[in-house]
Amino acid sequence: MSKLLPFVRRAGRTAPDTDQAGTRRMSTSEKFISIEGIARRYPAPGGKTTTIFENLWLPMRRGEFVCMIGHSGCGKTTVLNILAGLEAPSEGAVIVDGQAIAGTSLDRAVIFQGHALLPWRSVLGNVAYAVSSRWRKAPKAEIEARARKAIATVGLAGSEHKRPSELSGGMKQRVGIARALSIEPKILLMDEPFSALDALTRGTLQDEVRRICVETGQTVFMITHDVDEAIYLADRIVLMTNGPEAKVAEIVENPLPKDRDRTQLHHAPGYYALRNHLIDFLVSRSRTMRDAMPADYDPRHPPVVRPSLSEADAEAIAASTEPAPRRA
Amino acid sequence: MTRTLNLRAGVLSLALLTAILLVWQVAVSGTAKTEAMNPEYAALMGATATTGKSAMPGPLDVAETIGKHLKDPFYDRGPNDKGIGIQLAYSVGRVALGYGLAVLVAIPVGFLIGMSPLMSRALDPYIQILKPVSPLAWMPLALYTIKDSSLSAIFVIFICSVWPMLINTVFGVASTRKEWLNVARTLEVGPIRRAFTVILPAAAPTILTGMRISIGIAWLVIVAAEMLVGGTGIGYFVWNEWNNLSITNVITSILVIGLVGMVLDQVLARAQRLVTFPE
Amino acid sequence: MALFDNPFDAKRRFARGGCSCGAHASQAAHDADHAAPTGEAALERAVEGAVMRALFPHDAERRAFLRSVGAATALAAVSQFLPVKFAAEAFAQAGKPEKADLKVGFIPITCATPIIMAKPMGFYEKQGLNVEVVKTAGWAVIRDKTLNREYDAAHMLAPMPIAISLGLGSNPQAYTMPAVENVNGQAITLAMKHKDRRDPKDWKGFKLAVPFDYSMHNYLLRYYLAEAGIDPDTDVQIRAVPPPEMVANLRADNIDGFLAPDPVNQRAVYDGVGFIHILSKEIWDRHPCCAFAASESFIKETPNTYAALLRSIIQATAYASKAENRKEIAAAIAPANYLNQPLTVVEQVLTGTFADGLGQVRKVPDRVDFDAFPWQSFAVWILTQMKRWGQLKGDVDYAAVARQVYLATDAAKLMKQDGFSPPEATSKTFAVMGKTFDPSRPKEYLDSFKIKRAS
Repeated sequence: MSKLLPFVRRAGRTAPDTDQAGTRRMSTSEKFISIEGIARRYPAPGGKTTTIFENLWLPMRRGEFVCMIGHSGCGKTTVLNILAGLEAPSEGAVIVDGQAIAGTSLDRAVIFQGHALLPWRSVLGNVAYAVSSRWRKAPKAEIEARARKAIATVGLAGSEHKRPSELSGGMKQRVGIARALSIEPKILLMDEPFSALDALTRGTLQDEVRRICVETGQTVFMITHDVDEAIYLADRIVLMTNGPEAKVAEIVENPLPKDRDRTQLHHAPGYYALRNHLIDFLVSRSRTMRDAMPADYDPRHPPVVRPSLSEADAEAIAASTEPAPRRA
Repeated sequence: MTRTLNLRAGVLSLALLTAILLVWQVAVSGTAKTEAMNPEYAALMGATATTGKSAMPGPLDVAETIGKHLKDPFYDRGPNDKGIGIQLAYSVGRVALGYGLAVLVAIPVGFLIGMSPLMSRALDPYIQILKPVSPLAWMPLALYTIKDSSLSAIFVIFICSVWPMLINTVFGVASTRKEWLNVARTLEVGPIRRAFTVILPAAAPTILTGMRISIGIAWLVIVAAEMLVGGTGIGYFVWNEWNNLSITNVITSILVIGLVGMVLDQVLARAQRLVTFPE
Repeated sequence: MALFDNPFDAKRRFARGGCSCGAHASQAAHDADHAAPTGEAALERAVEGAVMRALFPHDAERRAFLRSVGAATALAAVSQFLPVKFAAEAFAQAGKPEKADLKVGFIPITCATPIIMAKPMGFYEKQGLNVEVVKTAGWAVIRDKTLNREYDAAHMLAPMPIAISLGLGSNPQAYTMPAVENVNGQAITLAMKHKDRRDPKDWKGFKLAVPFDYSMHNYLLRYYLAEAGIDPDTDVQIRAVPPPEMVANLRADNIDGFLAPDPVNQRAVYDGVGFIHILSKEIWDRHPCCAFAASESFIKETPNTYAALLRSIIQATAYASKAENRKEIAAAIAPANYLNQPLTVVEQVLTGTFADGLGQVRKVPDRVDFDAFPWQSFAVWILTQMKRWGQLKGDVDYAAVARQVYLATDAAKLMKQDGFSPPEATSKTFAVMGKTFDPSRPKEYLDSFKIKRAS
């Protein structure tokens, strides 16, 4: 299934090799997070049960940015909640760093869709609340210092004493991000964090998140509806078929180089191939695949794909002076 | 803009007051026709009978009485005749005690019920039945079981203030946003810290609303309870003056009761503003 | 409590302290010419009774003991090792009260005059008591507060101790009435618009008010109406209305009139809303009205306090019965701390020189009088009326109830000690609206009425 294709940045530099690692099966030691056969069922009227998803397997590497895309009702948020420990799976388990999770943990920070700031606390108060939860016995000054640092990281220095109600939507979400980062989690879980923001703000925030994650090597699991967001941020994109009984249809390797520029992204080779692939999936295959999964589909090892070059990509390659690297 | 509006409202208020006082004065100043009496008989009769003076006092009479009370609000001439300030202090003290007890009971219990759907459902019928009972209906039962009238009055205040606070606390606690609770969960916040740092601030505006309703009811009830039980308090004062058919004093107490009620309400309104958070 | 289940009336009476045969006074209550007897024998008996009660605090035990050995033997035995004579002297001098700080409740009406005036005029102080007289909002409240023991004793309507003891309108509790406060002093007041309808036969459809169901006012009004052929239950409406509300209701035309205690009647006249139709003395001269009441347990637990308190009341009552003291008393009880009424209203009530509301000044010196002696025949009459109007059902031992509740002998004893001359008997016959009542034949009396609820 997977195609090994050359891809070139418009700037003409060679993509680093590390980006091509994902096509093979992940070894046990690489699995930082391993979702192992989880299911979520709800009782339905008439004594029946509705299965949102079942037998879902998904591995993630340390420092990897994974996006999950799917239509509403495919159980994306449920997967995230199970990862966070806010919900328990009906079956299966999630292993993080070699240990099955039980409940929530300060190691797994969540950035909520609706920012979920405590409105009676100031910006500093919200972040400090998280910090003091992480370091219970830390002196006040240290807590404040850590909180201020996190706030500065998201570019809100100077707004520490504002109340959430005095902030714009984008600023609120920055506080949410600062709060999540302040506790130095091993994993960052984001549930459509930018969906409520206007396009401009969303773009800026995406830049911030990407910068921070690249700088800190943060492991991130993010849910989104936005294909471009996924392409820009993710190392790998998990595609879910429609629910109920949703499945991981495939895991798409992002062929774009780690060093990305949001404004120039659509000029990057491989971009259109990837985008078309994702859109095709969302438009039709998410439905057709659920109804008829390929015969060789193995839920334990969902297919890993790397989309082929589109014509536009080919042109970009042709225009390139350097030969495209190839792999066998 | 708001200044001129305030100014205009103030002027209108004053005009209304003047109009009411004028109409009042005119209405009571007329004298009815009286029959001729011999002087010996007239000496034994009251002004209403001899001069046809209205039995209703005018605003000037009331103002004079208020002035008299303000001049010496804390006199004490025996157990049945104390100044209006002392009577108010008794009433406010009773309300504070009964209401304070109600706060101590309603808020923790409300928390427990609000945090447990099981308790919430199990206790709901009792609350629904006991809530609409008129507080004074508890009076005979209280007198009979507590066997002490001032404790009974405090109990009645307690029982009438407890329900709005309890119901509002339950509601406020139960409707704490799930996402805020999730924040606390992901931060591994323990149940007690969660109760104080998330649920309490989240429910505080609703709880304060209940407290404000309660203080209003408590103040309404204390006057009635003291009229019933007697002894001390502003309610007793009203009853005692009614006993003397002194409408002037009754009107004075009505004004005073209204004023104190307003102050109590405003105190809680201010507290409510302090805990209310904009979203 | 132990009213109908007590077959040992004689012993119980003995145990209560004294018997009627110990008195040697003349019949007339106010006849000061007769010399007061020493009454020492009676006093001694009283103390012996108190000693017996102290030895056997439980009624049942005491009765069992007395029954098995006989009262005389028991007394002799007790006298052997207890200085009864000494104790008797101590009681005669009113032994030091067990507790000096007392609370006595009252309703602000002139009937309570002795209870109230005893405070500002020092009658309690003289007995070493520090009494707080507490104004109370209504008869049900005063009853409950006394049952609660918030009050040590209280001003009540004469029928109330009987009703409480019988469990009418409250849980039965042994209750006693050691002294009457006033006789007469009530009146029927009608709204001014009825000044030409003076014949009660024309009163069909009237709405009339009385202060309480168990009140002399209720019984007297019913009696008065029934004598005129008006059935008080079907021809008119009688409701219990607190006295302060009576004048307001009369003014608002909610009621046509009332039989009420003073100063309510005089206040209605004073404010020009009503006139005095008749005084209650014209229905039954020297009828009792209000009473000084205490629980049996108060008497048992603090006999000295009880004696001191009763003595203050009796002395105050005697003082109040003298016409020349009435103006002084009026001035003492009119202020806000007590009755809270215009002085002239209280004065008119107490002196008996009053405006009748129809333009006349009437002079009736005994419009109200004060006489502490709790005639047991009063209680019997009240019981007949309770039965007559269906408040009390079933058979009743009139004499036994009267004896237990109306403590005529205690009052007589203390009156004698203070040099007053109580009547020798505890019962007397009297006439109500010209009809003679014989307390020894209550059943026949009850049967003689045409309008009644009792079968």
